[in-house]
Amino acid sequence: MADRRSVLIVDDEFGLAEMLREMLRDDGYDVTLAINGRLAFDILRERRVDLVITDLMMPVMDGAELAAGIRGDDAMRGTAVLLMTSLPARLPDKSGLYDAIIRKPFTPELLLAAITTCFAAQRERVRRQSSLGVVSSDGKAGDRAS
Amino acid sequence: MSGSSETASPRLPTGIPGLDRILEGGFIAAGVYIVQGPPGGGKTILANQMCFHHAANGRRVVYVTLLAESHARMFAHLRRMAFFDEAAIPERVYYIGGYSTLQAGGLDALVSLIRGVMQKHNATLLVVDGLVSAQESAPTDRLFKQFIHEIQALADFSKCTVLLLTNAERESGFYPEHTMVDGVLHLTDELSDLRPLRHIRVLKLRGSAPLRGLHSVRISDSGLEVRPRLESLLPYRSVAENVLPSGAKMGFALPELDDMLRGGLRQGSVTMLLGSSGSGKTLLGMQFLSAGIKHGERAVYFGFFEHPEAILAKCQRVGIGGLRQGIESGQAKIVWHRPVEGVIDELGESLIETIGKIKPHRLVIDGMDEFERASDFPERMSSVYSAIAHELERNGVTTIYTTELRMLFGREIEVPINGLSAATQNIILMRHIEHQATLLRVLGILKVRDDDYDGRMREIRITEEGIRLLDTFAAESRVVSGGGLSPDLRAGHEE
Repeated sequence: MADRRSVLIVDDEFGLAEMLREMLRDDGYDVTLAINGRLAFDILRERRVDLVITDLMMPVMDGAELAAGIRGDDAMRGTAVLLMTSLPARLPDKSGLYDAIIRKPFTPELLLAAITTCFAAQRERVRRQSSLGVVSSDGKAGDRAS
Repeated sequence: MSGSSETASPRLPTGIPGLDRILEGGFIAAGVYIVQGPPGGGKTILANQMCFHHAANGRRVVYVTLLAESHARMFAHLRRMAFFDEAAIPERVYYIGGYSTLQAGGLDALVSLIRGVMQKHNATLLVVDGLVSAQESAPTDRLFKQFIHEIQALADFSKCTVLLLTNAERESGFYPEHTMVDGVLHLTDELSDLRPLRHIRVLKLRGSAPLRGLHSVRISDSGLEVRPRLESLLPYRSVAENVLPSGAKMGFALPELDDMLRGGLRQGSVTMLLGSSGSGKTLLGMQFLSAGIKHGERAVYFGFFEHPEAILAKCQRVGIGGLRQGIESGQAKIVWHRPVEGVIDELGESLIETIGKIKPHRLVIDGMDEFERASDFPERMSSVYSAIAHELERNGVTTIYTTELRMLFGREIEVPINGLSAATQNIILMRHIEHQATLLRVLGILKVRDDDYDGRMREIRITEEGIRLLDTFAAESRVVSGGGLSPDLRAGHEE
């Protein structure tokens, strides 16, 4: 049986994360929740996660800090990051941190499309990094380099 | 007494002018305040408005929600408000959810979360929206009070002002948390007949002498506006009937009427134009203003029924001139409020502001009844009228106000008695009468306090050439009280 893709949802607001977890589980993902960036980062240090879906404004560690932490850690460079934010007019100017950005509120279809975009961006990033010799992996995007 | 030192504490303005006025300039900085009220009462708007005002002054805010509406939904609602500045988020206004933490770790975890986020963002204003969730998750009142105490310590330590928003209602009516915080504001949203009425009330404000009682609140795209109760802003003084204006006479530039008034209305006096609908009250009022403008006086029309352009056009049609030029030169002003558009304090404040700015010599308030219609509590009217009368007297404004006569025809005339009638020196009656199968307008002076006047009834005729007063009824009696009897019939009738 093929490995299920893993998703980590990071949101401090009660309700949305729980709903997304149920929806993505139904779609076959292995889903974990965290209520701030720090807790999410701790999880990412322990195990590989294919996709992080994170809110922007959170206590302790916010979405931008979490994404910067992921991008700065060689072992996590294969992890895709999808930012979800309630601020439609002015999106964070940190485009290198995220593979896609989705505006709240969103429909399930929009979320699934954003996830597809994220994985495509993730594959492309891993391919480029591999060709530059940045990441030494077994070719499976997002694997931790041990 | 500690009051003087406490009053000198630095204030944190809410940015809502009326509210700051009620609070003596704002909340005391680093205090903890509860804002309570029903769902839809305006708590979230009030708090956000203060947040963006705070941020506009370069300071930082943290807004924590506990089982309240989602941030996305909140922003969607706030986006239409003039104060909402998305550019301030997240650098200066930072929103987080705290319910998951509360659920997972209880009140202690929530305090830690708040402490961390306040320090990280150097917040000098903290809002906790949905305090009722914290209250419900506290096993005992004592532990809930302990939570409030920890928030207070945090506020004190961080020099951060805290607003706690809640819709909590305790059956006992006793709120132990109220004893701990520095202030409690209560928002209400109720119906009076079919009209929604919002109010705010300061239940407690340590170190301050707030304006007590209910103050009206309006929520629009401009945000939340607070109108302090008119009578609470002005020094209360009952209207003294024996105060007699002693200035010069101010005429209507209508020779017949000015003769009847022995030259005009006394400067600084208040005159009631009592009349039925369509009897010419507005035009007579405009004629009074026009006469003043031509003498270089400042004039204000304060009305409810007709749009300013419609009034000016009507005046032009009947030859009442000078108004438009007066307005263009700043000598005159028309202030128009839609009927029952606002609450009485909004109307009163507008009137008093206008008087203060324009310093009019002449004023016409067209439709005093609208003040009563806009009143939230009828028992207030006497105080409101006293406050208005006091301002008119203080500014020496010669005022005419119109009041609608309920019956179009009839033998009885009911003169409305309200707080302003005590300050009313003169009453002029205008109404329709049936005369020889024709409806005519009639004018008569009912009262000029301590001054001579001509009490004859006159027909008032309004034509393209202007307003004229005619002696149509010189030979008749009971013109107004009914009958319109000619001399030959009068004798038989009086037997």
